[in-house]
Amino acid sequence: MSLRIEVQKNSEGRYSLDVRGQVCPYPELLTLRALQNLSSGDILEVTLDNPPSIRDISIVIEKRGFGKPVITNIDNETSKITINIPK
Amino acid sequence: MKRVIHMVKLTTGDIDQFLGRYSLGRDSSPLNSTGSQHFLRIKVPGGFLDSKQLRQIANLTKRYSRDHAEITNRQSIQLHWIDAQDALEIFSIMDKIGFTTDMCGQGFKGARYGDARNILCCPVSGFEKDELLNGAPLLRKLSDFFIGNPDFLDMPKKFKFSISGCGYDCTRAVINDLAFVAVKKNDSIGYTLLAGGGIGATLPGPRLAQPLKVFVETEDAFDVAVAAIEIHRDNSSRESKTKARFKWLLHNWGIEKYLNKLEEKLGKRLEEYDGPIFLKNGGHYGVQPQSQEGYYYVSVPFMGGILSSADMISLADLADEYGNGELSFTPQQNIIVLNVERKNQLLKRLTENGFSIEGPQLKWNSMGCASNFCGKSAAPHAKDVTNDLVEHLQTSFNKELLDEAAFRIHVSGCPNNCCANLIAEIGLRGRLTRDHGELKQNYAILLGGGFGVETSLGKQIEENVPANELGSKINSILTNYFKKRKTSENLREFCNRHSTEELKTFMNSVGE
Repeated sequence: MSLRIEVQKNSEGRYSLDVRGQVCPYPELLTLRALQNLSSGDILEVTLDNPPSIRDISIVIEKRGFGKPVITNIDNETSKITINIPK
Repeated sequence: MKRVIHMVKLTTGDIDQFLGRYSLGRDSSPLNSTGSQHFLRIKVPGGFLDSKQLRQIANLTKRYSRDHAEITNRQSIQLHWIDAQDALEIFSIMDKIGFTTDMCGQGFKGARYGDARNILCCPVSGFEKDELLNGAPLLRKLSDFFIGNPDFLDMPKKFKFSISGCGYDCTRAVINDLAFVAVKKNDSIGYTLLAGGGIGATLPGPRLAQPLKVFVETEDAFDVAVAAIEIHRDNSSRESKTKARFKWLLHNWGIEKYLNKLEEKLGKRLEEYDGPIFLKNGGHYGVQPQSQEGYYYVSVPFMGGILSSADMISLADLADEYGNGELSFTPQQNIIVLNVERKNQLLKRLTENGFSIEGPQLKWNSMGCASNFCGKSAAPHAKDVTNDLVEHLQTSFNKELLDEAAFRIHVSGCPNNCCANLIAEIGLRGRLTRDHGELKQNYAILLGGGFGVETSLGKQIEENVPANELGSKINSILTNYFKKRKTSENLREFCNRHSTEELKTFMNSVGE
């Protein structure tokens, strides 16, 4: 099985990552991996459908100094976490 | 429409290799006071492992899980306080020792990502004297097929298999989605099937698996299992999680339609079987002779299944010294040391090392769930309640009396019923209540459930009983039972002979 997860660049400084269908700990690990590849000032939007991962990502993002992420519900099952990489 | 400008490829080779075979489960909720966010449920198919593997689990337990591990009632072993950042390192170690995890997809909101859970098997398959059939080859073939198989990782909900060939219902077949139970038909030995069991709250509510009244040749058993789970995958409801278990499909279809579908997929008719299913009550307690002349297995009780790394290393060492290093976890959360020749020396060493193998059968067959981690209960937790009750009863009644009553205590910390309190002679189901702002754990008491040759669901006698009153109430019911029982009547039969009101009276008076 291969992940083939990619970070999509939607516009200058704005990226997205889709980890729907991934169970813990993968959404958290992939989000951190994506952040390593981005630069200060960039914004990463993570789309996911596993509620425990929403909690986990929020905690680890704050711990790592990215500030409080913004969580929005896309539909009944899917959420989006928006992370601003500090300048 | 978004205009895609660029892709940033992530390096994920170190993650890819574990997908579909490893995951972490969710421990935390606002009421979980342990501080654990994730658990790691290590699949141990049929509970079979060797001393080297047990030592490696001990190392993981000490390093990542605060030296606390729990054997589950599906023969897995569960660690807590797992940090997601350590997950890849842990998965890598597990891969080297040959273990994977359940794919814990229950966190998803939709009816998706269900997998085949750790397959239960008689923990002394191939060793039990007089067993009808050794289920271990079927167990291994099925486990190898399902683990990491992408065709079975996105079912509407999990699917539970069990296999037993010893004549006891040591795997609690009646609460599995599909149970293979060895039976003899004329001169042939094969399996009969029970289907659609599950006593959780999902629709259609608690259900005991129903006999399909078929006889499956051993060479067809693998194909039958795959066809059965494909029917679940392709036909169970994805409308909502509450309708997604296989028992709901069977409830709606009925057995005849289901069997027709199963036979259509197999391309053959299954033989009919209308004989006995389980031959005897009881289980694999204490020291028992094996089918291999001169060898014994020794079952060490761990009420609640709690182990430290030192416990595991000690048992691994003893398994090497007195056996051939083979062990098994039981569905009752105990550990069996297999292939023992010098049983008396082993018993002496077990006692010296702090493992008690004396006492009533109750010590081997009572269970408590891990409610302190799932966050739906407050102290005292299910495992503590189980231990305290069994200890309490041992001080009130002697071993022979307790064994004559032939009962189990199953304690679940919340209404999810994951410790099967509905099918124990004494079942306790926890519930959180708030008393003057303080969270308290109270229990409903159910009596008269059971499984084996005869199967019944327990009936609720009282609810909201504070934990500190459980001992006296259970004591009273037993006292009344010993005074009023008919000859050879066990506790389940006694409870089912009396009404709820009568049992409630017995529970609150010591009898005359």
